[in-house]
Amino acid sequence: MADVTVVGQGIFLRGSIRGEGDVEIRGRIEGDIEVGGEVTIADGALVKADVTARRIVVRGAVAGNLTGEDGVRLEQGARVVGDLRGATIGVAEGALVRGTVQTGNAPAERGRARTAAAREAKPAARAAEPRKPVPAPAAAAKGNGLPRRPAAIAQEERTGPPPPVVPALKKGARAALRKRSR
Amino acid sequence: MANTVIAQGITIEGELTSEEDVVIQGTLRGKLVSKDTVNVESGAIVEADIAASSLSVGGHITGNVTASDRVDLMPGGRLIGDVKASRLTIADGASFKGNVDMDV
Repeated sequence: MADVTVVGQGIFLRGSIRGEGDVEIRGRIEGDIEVGGEVTIADGALVKADVTARRIVVRGAVAGNLTGEDGVRLEQGARVVGDLRGATIGVAEGALVRGTVQTGNAPAERGRARTAAAREAKPAARAAEPRKPVPAPAAAAKGNGLPRRPAAIAQEERTGPPPPVVPALKKGARAALRKRSR
Repeated sequence: MANTVIAQGITIEGELTSEEDVVIQGTLRGKLVSKDTVNVESGAIVEADIAASSLSVGGHITGNVTASDRVDLMPGGRLIGDVKASRLTIADGASFKGNVDMDV
């Protein structure tokens, strides 16, 4: 019977959070988070970590990759610089995101479920696309990726597209995050 | 007001710095510095040095403890490490191995 772990607003953690159960983050975290439950990053939280969980809901600022097995959801007020990966990805209007977005099953099952995921990813991607706010730099990356992905998935091997490493982009992202959090 | 709770199934490894009360029911390895109270509940396992205003030990702590106010070892609590606090209580049923310095 695990309660929710709450990392309060006055907390700064430099390290890792692991285990089973749900985690709600309201403070600052630098490190990595890997839990079996749901991770909620509240408004005002600053997370500089890769987050892996069953489900992730973001309302704060994150610099890191988000991998939610059941899904990742960015609510209004979310600011994410990092890749999103999950069975379903939701980006609400007003959320800011810069990174790659990939729906589909977790990498471990990707080989077997690839064709099934391709079929799911196609309608999910098409349905999610008009709802997503598309910031200019991200649009270029996503625009190239999305229409190509469903067809390419069937032929692609298990390794996905390499993460974009754009130093200029990263620098700008941090400044933008800082500006916006002020 | 948000209260920080580390629930039972969770393990935190690293340095935790807090401005507010912390309740630990899970596992913490590393270092904990709190400006307010720290409450290590029964079932919690802490392998860390703790600095707090006041500390209540109901679980297992291995590490040195410094409190600006007080340290209370509850029944069932176990502390292996040195204590530096101006006030200290060790309840019947608590276990303690370490040095005590109350000259703070």
